[in-house]
Amino acid sequence: MAEKPVIPEEESPAGAPAEQAAVDRRWRLYASATVGMALMVAIILGLLLIPAGQRANAGLSLYEAICRAVGLTPGSPAQAQPVSTAVSLPVSQVSWDPEIMKILEGGNTQRGAQLAARTCAACHGEKGLSQTNIPSLAGQSPYAIYKQLHDYRTDARAHPQMTGVAKGLAPADLAAVAAYFAEASKEYTAIGGRDLLGEENIEKLAREGDSRRRIPACLSCHLNGVGGPIETPVIIGQNREYMIAQLNAYADGTRKNDVYGRMRDISQKLTPEERAELARFFQGTL
Amino acid sequence: MATVAEPFPVVPSAPSSSVTGELQCRRLVAYHAWIAFAAFAVACLLGVWQMWARSPLDAPALTASNYFRSVTLHGVSMAFVLTTFFIMGFGYFVAETALRRPLPGQKFAWGAFWLGIAGVLMAALSVISGNASVLYTFYPPLTATVWYYLGLVLVVVASWVWCLLMIVAMRSWKAANPGKPVPLAMFATVANAVMWLWTTVGVAAELLFQMIPAALGWNGMVDVGLSRTLFSWTLHAIVYFWLFPSYIAFYTMAPRAAGGRLYSDTMGRLAFILFILYSLPVGLHHLFMDPEHSNGFKFIQMFLTALVSVPTLLTIFTITASMEVAGRMRGGTGTLGWIRALPWHRPMVLATGLAFLMLFFGGGGGLINMSYGMNAMVHNTSWVTAHFHLIFGGTVVIMYFAIAYAMWPAITGRAFRSLRPLNLQLWLWFVGMMVMTLPWHYTGLQGQWRRVAAFDYSDPMIASWGPWVIVSLVGGIILAVSALLFIYNLATLHRSGIPQATAEVPYAEAVHPPERVPASLNGFGLWNILVAVLMVVAYGYPIAQFFIDPPPEAVIHRLN
Repeated sequence: MAEKPVIPEEESPAGAPAEQAAVDRRWRLYASATVGMALMVAIILGLLLIPAGQRANAGLSLYEAICRAVGLTPGSPAQAQPVSTAVSLPVSQVSWDPEIMKILEGGNTQRGAQLAARTCAACHGEKGLSQTNIPSLAGQSPYAIYKQLHDYRTDARAHPQMTGVAKGLAPADLAAVAAYFAEASKEYTAIGGRDLLGEENIEKLAREGDSRRRIPACLSCHLNGVGGPIETPVIIGQNREYMIAQLNAYADGTRKNDVYGRMRDISQKLTPEERAELARFFQGTL
Repeated sequence: MATVAEPFPVVPSAPSSSVTGELQCRRLVAYHAWIAFAAFAVACLLGVWQMWARSPLDAPALTASNYFRSVTLHGVSMAFVLTTFFIMGFGYFVAETALRRPLPGQKFAWGAFWLGIAGVLMAALSVISGNASVLYTFYPPLTATVWYYLGLVLVVVASWVWCLLMIVAMRSWKAANPGKPVPLAMFATVANAVMWLWTTVGVAAELLFQMIPAALGWNGMVDVGLSRTLFSWTLHAIVYFWLFPSYIAFYTMAPRAAGGRLYSDTMGRLAFILFILYSLPVGLHHLFMDPEHSNGFKFIQMFLTALVSVPTLLTIFTITASMEVAGRMRGGTGTLGWIRALPWHRPMVLATGLAFLMLFFGGGGGLINMSYGMNAMVHNTSWVTAHFHLIFGGTVVIMYFAIAYAMWPAITGRAFRSLRPLNLQLWLWFVGMMVMTLPWHYTGLQGQWRRVAAFDYSDPMIASWGPWVIVSLVGGIILAVSALLFIYNLATLHRSGIPQATAEVPYAEAVHPPERVPASLNGFGLWNILVAVLMVVAYGYPIAQFFIDPPPEAVIHRLN
């Protein structure tokens, strides 16, 4: 383009010559048209032609297939979604909704303390530190305690005393009690830090698992801060006989409130001797 | 074309190309670049340890939480610190050297620098203390400490200040040079700034409306589908933000370093504009396996993703043609003889050649990632890691090296005594990257997961991966050696180079230098409108669906 004297002009960049305006207009038009056409091709292919081609195999009408491709109705245009007739049987009814979470995270309340003193302390100890084969609640997370209480309440887990106790209280009360014990026994969280000693094979099982038998490490979940499921209980320092009884109950299927059957699966793979040894290992006294 | 055999052919310079003398923003550029490269060096060493951890060899201090801490630090250092600080520093450098004017608003630039440093420290301390791990940063309902998010917000805000300064610098240049084409290097830098402003909208929305309130405990529930969608908005274009400086070097530095000219200035402008258009409405290709989006929109975004290959192919064509011009000017003949005639002993030329080779493998792998069907095969495997290490760690970072080697004489006022350690460093980087990533492709196809701390190689199903992972570890060690040599090369120039007076940066002239360009190729008004249209079509309904028919939300998990 020839060098021209600078003429002020409105449509082109300031100072560009007048004939530049025509070039600019053409550029704007062609660029927009090209981008628009590419977009149209994408839309026609993705929302019309491909669903149209796939609908026959799935037994859908064209309209249904397009609605699915756009996302207005669920499902893929390529595959009819079978309606499930299976009855779902959740192993646990517990749900971590915000109201309950708020109570669990709220810590100690008068309500929780009263209920605990009246209902729980006689067996579980004032601050949850039981001296018998009744499980200790000290050092547990509020989520772990609440999960079990809720399971007793909904018959996902059964116990002669606990079922009745849990059914007598509303979920919000169960959460308040759980929050009380978690907060009141904070001083016992040191239990979780105890150094554990055991036979080499048992320690390996606890820390690394056994990949040949597809047994994950116990401590990959049962340790604070490792990222296991929220309801995972602390087992370090827990009563040995209680733990043996639970592992055996999981293994023979009499206890089955573990989500995804994790503990039933693991317990079945462990030999009775390993269950006993692991329980002793985690109780922390040889 | 006349054959000119001398290494530095005299290129007729534009009337305004008088030497600017000393680089005025040298301290600003040097501070940014050193922060970037310091983070880079640390991240490289962490990367070696991660490779070691994943290999059958016993790595020291290997626990899962250490691994994820390391992965997070490696990723944040490379993807946020190295890139953002380098790009900001390089932008200031280009604004002064390409426009041949002092950088406007240097006070703001320094303010943004310290803001970014504060943000980096907040984020880094969060990660080191174990309160922000890749597993719970941008993937709610798990949340990291709020300090991590606030730190990243500060870095992003700092980069926004940079964007505005770049736009202001270009505007004021245009006002002073009515009707003249903005120099390509600056046009591209502003293109990157414009694209980055669009890019950060997604993650900024996720941070401000979802993650930060969640981390502070202001809300109990979060819509996970929406947050993944908003993150995907940013997730692909951010890669092009990192890529831009490399392409700027391809177009405006490499042809000149080779002793030739840029084959086409218009092609460069088009390529940068196409990056703005097609790096944004494509993020759903990260969510092909996610249930919250329909097939149709995934397909549309896959189609638009495919169009991103157009500017890359345009660039390969244009730069190869420019190199051929240079090779023939240097006396190369025959179909491929011009390649031998190129001055491969110059870091910028060598880096460009090696970058193209890595782009070939990385781009090929990327085409497979972005294909809706084939993606299912390699989704979340080490194939993906191989792809982005080749493109980012390979093509992009090797050009960062070359750019640093080109900028450092201007920053220090000294010239390199010998180019040999520079070229050795570039070769080591290339060899290390190839040795590390080619096995990843193989193990990825075998199904090896990414982001996994350790593998049990006694399992016969995966035992055969072990030797390949050791090969990758060797590649990682070569890369770390190269990274340290890079730091050494730059550091020694501060003290022991040959003093030189000029801070002239030789930007390549086009074969036909543009006298005038259409307004569309000299500004971004039209392209902003088109990006808006593309984004409304590609992301409008996929985002709106979360508000039209809100899905069940997930309970937020906070750190204790």
